[in-house]
Amino acid sequence: MVRVPYKAFPDKYATFLYSAMLPVHLALPHPNAPRTKRFEAVIDSGASRCIFHADIGRFLGLDMKKGATETTQGIGGPSEIYLHDVKLYIPGGPVIIKAGFKESLPIAGLLGMDGFFEHFVVTFRHPSLECELEREYRA
Amino acid sequence: MNLMSPENKNRLAVLRSAPLNKWIALSQDETAIVAIGDTYAEVSERSESAGVSDPIILKTPEEWVPVSL
Repeated sequence: MVRVPYKAFPDKYATFLYSAMLPVHLALPHPNAPRTKRFEAVIDSGASRCIFHADIGRFLGLDMKKGATETTQGIGGPSEIYLHDVKLYIPGGPVIIKAGFKESLPIAGLLGMDGFFEHFVVTFRHPSLECELEREYRA
Repeated sequence: MNLMSPENKNRLAVLRSAPLNKWIALSQDETAIVAIGDTYAEVSERSESAGVSDPIILKTPEEWVPVSL
């Protein structure tokens, strides 16, 4: 099991908020593809799938607009993402996922239900300000 | 609310000093910004140039407000 301490972020009132963030790497799905440096992504059960900033996809060499488009429905309204297969490095070993890439994402990435939560028992422990990830392997 | 960990205190100070709407690379212990860029590729390359091969990269928002995506 991996314990991920909550990370603090400033807010505009000179106080702070916590978020469960996991450093991850991405790579193209083919064997031995070089991976990105670690970047922080939010562990977000409200996200249907994993979504990353389009900048990271371009860094990997993806042509964003060659991916299938999908309209997502967020609190701020609908927006368009481009879908690409990538390798996501997570605790317990990498997985190949279909991820969304979005140009105007205000953060580096979101780890959502499809592609991330499906591989773990996830427990948020706010009193101890940490998130526990227990990997579950399926046959 | 729990007392903030020393790690988060350091991190918060670093993030408050960070430029907004940029990609930033933090040192492994998250106590310093080692590179700043307009793109992920830029900050990745600049962190290498700064001699930090294993930074933690994040994107700062246009404004520090709660995130609801």
